[in-house]
Amino acid sequence: MSPVHFIAIPLFAAFLIPLVGKVSKNLVKLIPGIVFLYLSYVAITLFPIGIHKPIVEIIAGFKAPFGISLYYGPLAAFLTTMITLIGFVIWLYSYKFIIREPIEKYYMLFMMLITGSTGIVLTGDVFNLFVFLEITAIAAYSLTAFLRDKDGAEAAFKYLLIGSFSSTFVLLAIVLLYANVHTLNMADIATKISSVPLTTRIFILILFLMGLGIESEMFPLNGWAPDAYSQAPSPVGAVFGGIVVKASIYALMRLIYLMFEFQSVMHFLVIMGVITMLIAEMSAMRQQQIKRMLAFSSIGQMGLVIIAFGVGTEPSVRAALFQMFNHALIKSLLFFAAGYLVFHSGSKKISALDGLGHDKPITSFFFAFGALAIIGLPPFSGFWSKLYVLLSVANSGLFAAVALILFSSVVEAIYYLRVVSRLYFNTEVATDVRRTPVSGLVAMGILTLVILFVGFYPNLVLHWMTPAANELLNKAAYIKAGLFH
Amino acid sequence: MISIPYILLIAFAGALLSFVIHHIAPKLRTPVALLTTVLLLYFVWALPANSLINIKIGDFILTWGTTAYGQLFGMLVAVLGFFTVLYSTDFMASKERLGYFYMNFLFVIGGMLGIVYSQDFISLFFFWEIMTWSSFMLVIYCCKDAQSIGLKYFVFSAIGAYSILIGIVLLYSSMGTLQFKNIFGHINEISTGIKISVIILMIIGFGVKSALMPLHVWAPDAYAVSPSPFTALFSGALSKMGIFGIGLVLFKLAAHTGFYSYVQYTLAWIGGITALLATFYAIAQTDAKKLLAYSSIGQLGYIIVGLAIGTPLSIAAALFLAILHAIFKSMLFMATGAVYMRTGTTNMTEVSGLIRKMPISFVTALFGIITVAGVPPLGGFAAKWMLYESLIQSGHYFLVIVIFAASTAAFLYLFRYIFSLFLGQEEKEWENVKEVPWTMQIPMILMTIFVLVIGVFPGLLLDPISSAMQYLNVKPFDYQMSVLFNNWGGKVDMQIVVRSIAAVFILLGIFITIKGYRNTRYVTTKDIHTSGEIPTENENLTYAVDFYKPFERSIAPLLKASIDKVYTLTGDIFEQAFDYLRYVYTGNGQTYAMYVVLFLAILLLFSELIFGIIL
Repeated sequence: MSPVHFIAIPLFAAFLIPLVGKVSKNLVKLIPGIVFLYLSYVAITLFPIGIHKPIVEIIAGFKAPFGISLYYGPLAAFLTTMITLIGFVIWLYSYKFIIREPIEKYYMLFMMLITGSTGIVLTGDVFNLFVFLEITAIAAYSLTAFLRDKDGAEAAFKYLLIGSFSSTFVLLAIVLLYANVHTLNMADIATKISSVPLTTRIFILILFLMGLGIESEMFPLNGWAPDAYSQAPSPVGAVFGGIVVKASIYALMRLIYLMFEFQSVMHFLVIMGVITMLIAEMSAMRQQQIKRMLAFSSIGQMGLVIIAFGVGTEPSVRAALFQMFNHALIKSLLFFAAGYLVFHSGSKKISALDGLGHDKPITSFFFAFGALAIIGLPPFSGFWSKLYVLLSVANSGLFAAVALILFSSVVEAIYYLRVVSRLYFNTEVATDVRRTPVSGLVAMGILTLVILFVGFYPNLVLHWMTPAANELLNKAAYIKAGLFH
Repeated sequence: MISIPYILLIAFAGALLSFVIHHIAPKLRTPVALLTTVLLLYFVWALPANSLINIKIGDFILTWGTTAYGQLFGMLVAVLGFFTVLYSTDFMASKERLGYFYMNFLFVIGGMLGIVYSQDFISLFFFWEIMTWSSFMLVIYCCKDAQSIGLKYFVFSAIGAYSILIGIVLLYSSMGTLQFKNIFGHINEISTGIKISVIILMIIGFGVKSALMPLHVWAPDAYAVSPSPFTALFSGALSKMGIFGIGLVLFKLAAHTGFYSYVQYTLAWIGGITALLATFYAIAQTDAKKLLAYSSIGQLGYIIVGLAIGTPLSIAAALFLAILHAIFKSMLFMATGAVYMRTGTTNMTEVSGLIRKMPISFVTALFGIITVAGVPPLGGFAAKWMLYESLIQSGHYFLVIVIFAASTAAFLYLFRYIFSLFLGQEEKEWENVKEVPWTMQIPMILMTIFVLVIGVFPGLLLDPISSAMQYLNVKPFDYQMSVLFNNWGGKVDMQIVVRSIAAVFILLGIFITIKGYRNTRYVTTKDIHTSGEIPTENENLTYAVDFYKPFERSIAPLLKASIDKVYTLTGDIFEQAFDYLRYVYTGNGQTYAMYVVLFLAILLLFSELIFGIIL
């Protein structure tokens, strides 16, 4: 068993799907499911090994630093497992949700996107990282426009426009990096980066910050996000919030921690995180469309993650990872529920959701559940991660950030609960004879159970978070494992 | 077998079960909920005094344990929980979404029990939040205005909870622990600035729940709009969680600091002003539930005064009043709920003359208002007596005047309450009103007996209170089963008081019976002459509208100056600002591209400021 399966299998499936599509559409729908089941098998087998000792996989026989290597340490183990889990429920949800042709293209792009994001997480080579970023981004652009309507196309175009900035910046940064250290292996770069002049390093850092900041929704680079989230099909919203953004923020943090651990960068990150969070939460407050609201909330949550990464202590990195995990689950749940609420009410508007709780109790329940969880109320998992973030931020003496996080939590509570009370307590009952399909309910049910379980037993996840956080912080160990495995 | 985790498990499992069973076998739902509260009552009652349990969750060790102080409030929650659920069985019978109702109801009870048994701040906050969101769910349970009211409640609660959380975070960052046993008594190890912030933040947080002015604005509406059984629990037990917290902060944290006297002084005055203003507001209400809500705010003000004064007698008075208020305010809300159930309204200008239709509710309401007023021989007297004594003793003469004014003014709204609903003219509209079913009568009767017994034997309640005070490190005070003492050697023997009152009543009864024995005749309200005219069927002889117009006119400026408007304005300004802010996201791709370029330019230009390097 090797971590390369995480990349190869979805990639293979992506090529297989159009071919199978010629034969049977139903078979196409099953392929991603099989892929995810296989990947979870891989994840389960590799997880216990990778968490203790990183597995370094050499591609094509060239040893590091010359060849491309995959690095499956605790962090990658955690992230690939998370991507597999989220991917699986997204597939389950899409099974009945995506009924519009061309189905095989949807699943093909989805598989490409999984390939890209697991690649970002696993790779130990900075150019390889760029390639996977591109794969992910291109799949994401196309998925945004999947519905082939005017709004979708417009959103995809905006995403493409801003995304191409991102690619340019990242590529420029890599070029500059290579020109200076003459290597692309991340572990090798980390050893040699200190010989690069400081101004160049800062310039490279700025380019990375710009490029990956766009993908990880940092303000003011996140203009693409609200449109892309709200115009793409609902499961794609979950793909963005649960997978794409998470992989990008991983890439950004990995590079920053590995190459540029200046104190001032960290402060800058905290400030950017706070600004991102505040502006997003405030903008979410008066949104008219539910998926747009969720998009802003997603950005806000990413702000919280950036803050926690920016603090840069072991507890805070752990809290950031935990928050990422919870956000991936909860936001997927919310997008899933919102997807069917929009479908049943026939409108994207929040005002169209009046009284839907009576007509569609289960879907509405899932939405309400997700809303309570993402606000950070106990006994759901979101409570613990927010608490950890707060405690770790406070331990570094950043009390103003604590106050601002809580301020934005109040704002968050207001707009989420507004929707929840609309669902249940407005009398206008819209009725829709169509029912929410079982596969969608099962997908939401799985997420709900995980959220609740982690809420009561946070150690389940936290336990693995400590080695993951240490991997990110302990540069020396990474270099050692990456170069001299 | 009987331990705290089981108690919590029963509460939360019962909650989920009643929700699930609502969809499977709706008939079993209410029995399940009722059984849960009975079990809880038994478990809480039988809980060993020295239970202590540690649970590792995440990095934290959650500690749950019994203290005399927690047990005092725990019993209160369990008893009230049982009574209110029993009351709900018939009150809610014809309502919708009962699974939802009972689930959240039991969540609230479970949350409160969790709070009182918490021995560390993480558990406290955890259960505090559970209690908050489940009570929010109950506030928005019905009625059309419920949404905005519920949201207001939640926003205030969230602000309160988060100020507690900032306090907790501050404590953690400076002490590295959140266990009560490591924090209480060691508070002086941290710097004064942090100490002050922690104490102020926590008092604000707990003050929101106990409706301390100016943080009370959510309370009248939230109390009025939530279903009556829950209002009883809300005002009775939930608001006491705020008191519970303030007690902890005052005596376990603040008492050891150098600035304790300032905290006491400020809090006492805030409590006093709350008591006075809330009473004035109560007088001006026309809705019975809102009247009771303001009355609750006022009573909570008294309790805060008692806690803040900090002499043994005043603390005893405060805790005594806290328990008693929970009981008598539940009685009043239940009586009001009974009226609502039969007439469909709590508007005091519409309902009148129910005394003969609903005698049990009337008696409950009567005993309730007598207790509120502090008239002997019911429990309220002992509470008020102790409070006044302690205030005079400690030299807070101005505060005594304020409290006394509030207490006297309270007679006005109490009279209005009982007069409008139960006395006055019997109207045709309410001719067919019947007394409520027995499930609703039982809690009312039991609580009525309770206030009577406590009035005669305040010692019954003072026993657990004095052990609770021991936990709070307060010196013991003198009392006997039915005798109260003050510091000058004066005493009140409740038995003598009761005997005298009983004697007066019996003599009066005998006198009336003998005198009117022959010519007793049943008289209705219309069976009279007014200036020689016989009133017609529709003529109104009693008044309920503009009940206290002259009084209201005299305090009009006070009523008009409402802090609520300030909050609404602030909220509106924020929302407007947010609305403008969201146009940062113009929806225009070119603008977004511009942002990217601008951001790059900023990073490059201000690189010295940001990264310390000039590029």
